[in-house]
Amino acid sequence: MCLAIPMQILEVDGFNARCEAKGVEREVSLFMLQDQTVEPGEFVMVHVGYAIQKVSAEDARSSWELFDQMLAAEDA
Amino acid sequence: MMASAKTWLERIRKLPLPEKIRIMNVCGGHERSISAAGIRGALPPQIELIPGPGCPVCICPEEDVYEAIHLALEEDVILVTFGDMLRVPVNVSRRDVRSLEQARAAGADIRPIASPTEAAAIARDNPERAVVFFAAGFETTMAPVAAMLCEGAPENLFMLLSGRLTWPAVAMLLDSGEPGFDALIAPGHVATVMGPEEWSFVVEQHGLPAAVAGFTSESLLAAMYSVLRQYIEDRRFLDNCYPEVVREDGNPAARARLEQAFDVGDANWRGIGTIPGSGFALKPWLAQRDSVTAFGHHGGEERKRAGQMPKGCDCAKVVLGKIYPNQCRIYGLACTPRTPVGPCMVSDEGACRIWWSNGIRNRDVA
Repeated sequence: MCLAIPMQILEVDGFNARCEAKGVEREVSLFMLQDQTVEPGEFVMVHVGYAIQKVSAEDARSSWELFDQMLAAEDA
Repeated sequence: MMASAKTWLERIRKLPLPEKIRIMNVCGGHERSISAAGIRGALPPQIELIPGPGCPVCICPEEDVYEAIHLALEEDVILVTFGDMLRVPVNVSRRDVRSLEQARAAGADIRPIASPTEAAAIARDNPERAVVFFAAGFETTMAPVAAMLCEGAPENLFMLLSGRLTWPAVAMLLDSGEPGFDALIAPGHVATVMGPEEWSFVVEQHGLPAAVAGFTSESLLAAMYSVLRQYIEDRRFLDNCYPEVVREDGNPAARARLEQAFDVGDANWRGIGTIPGSGFALKPWLAQRDSVTAFGHHGGEERKRAGQMPKGCDCAKVVLGKIYPNQCRIYGLACTPRTPVGPCMVSDEGACRIWWSNGIRNRDVA
């Protein structure tokens, strides 16, 4: 349940952001990143609809590879 | 640029390993990554990787699940909860309602959610109804729950809270004198919120190697290499092998929300018992949102001593890392993901479910 997924910020509106990962868009709360600036194009780790930390594009990519691998293994 | 998984494996293989070393992880996400990537099989046989208390659904007190079931059945409420909770069975006869899923089939208004914001939205969309959010989770999940409450939730949203802190369970194992592990991989996303320092007691008070890890094979293997070197060289320190996400002081804004919304007190863990200072409870300013204050008890309170793991189920030992999932007496026999008996076979974070999903079918009778 502590899984967090990296998503890219598309749009910021106050504490709410529209984020995208692998073609899926979600509303994400930035309430817990309110002491940081978060801008479109940046990546955040998202857990249960809340951004818990910013990450680099490179780290976002390596996390996505991990999820693909994990889901493939569990589907097998 | 971080070294590849292959490089880390080669480095580990070159270490002068002891005859046996047991490394515990305390995060279902870590166990999923380890199992999916086949890390256990790739490591030298001296290294044992033990899944420990890393599943909040698995240790959610049976009396809380019972309370949620009967609250939803007996009161005119909408009960919302993270999807994992729906199939967790309570210890009642098969003729009775045994899970939230069965309560829903029996007519209770129970809705799975994926985010605390959905709980608030359902309450906003149903102003004439009471909505109860049955929330289990560790620090990573409870911080968003706290954020939702602090941001200002609708007045018709009530809480049945089963949130827990991770580190007190590890402290309890270490204090027991028989922790069953020699080094610790600390949970990356708990540390993202709380900061890595929360885990320094493992090193400073108990002299065990520890490293915070992320969820890729590279990060997990880097953390394993770190604790192995610490052990071999007798040079213990808390390493952070997930620095790209885990900052020195964690996420201060998230921690502030936790402190604003919750007190921390002694709490029951299913199959384990009371662990001091391990549970989140609503602060007085949120007391009117407590589902018990609003609707009274629904049988959960009386079950506090009776409500533990189901008969024959070894989830308690699995959660504490005392046995591997496939050493349970009913793993793969009476208990599979289709017919789960214990919570470790229900949740995606449960060690039994993870092992089964990754194809481990053989039982290892100890």
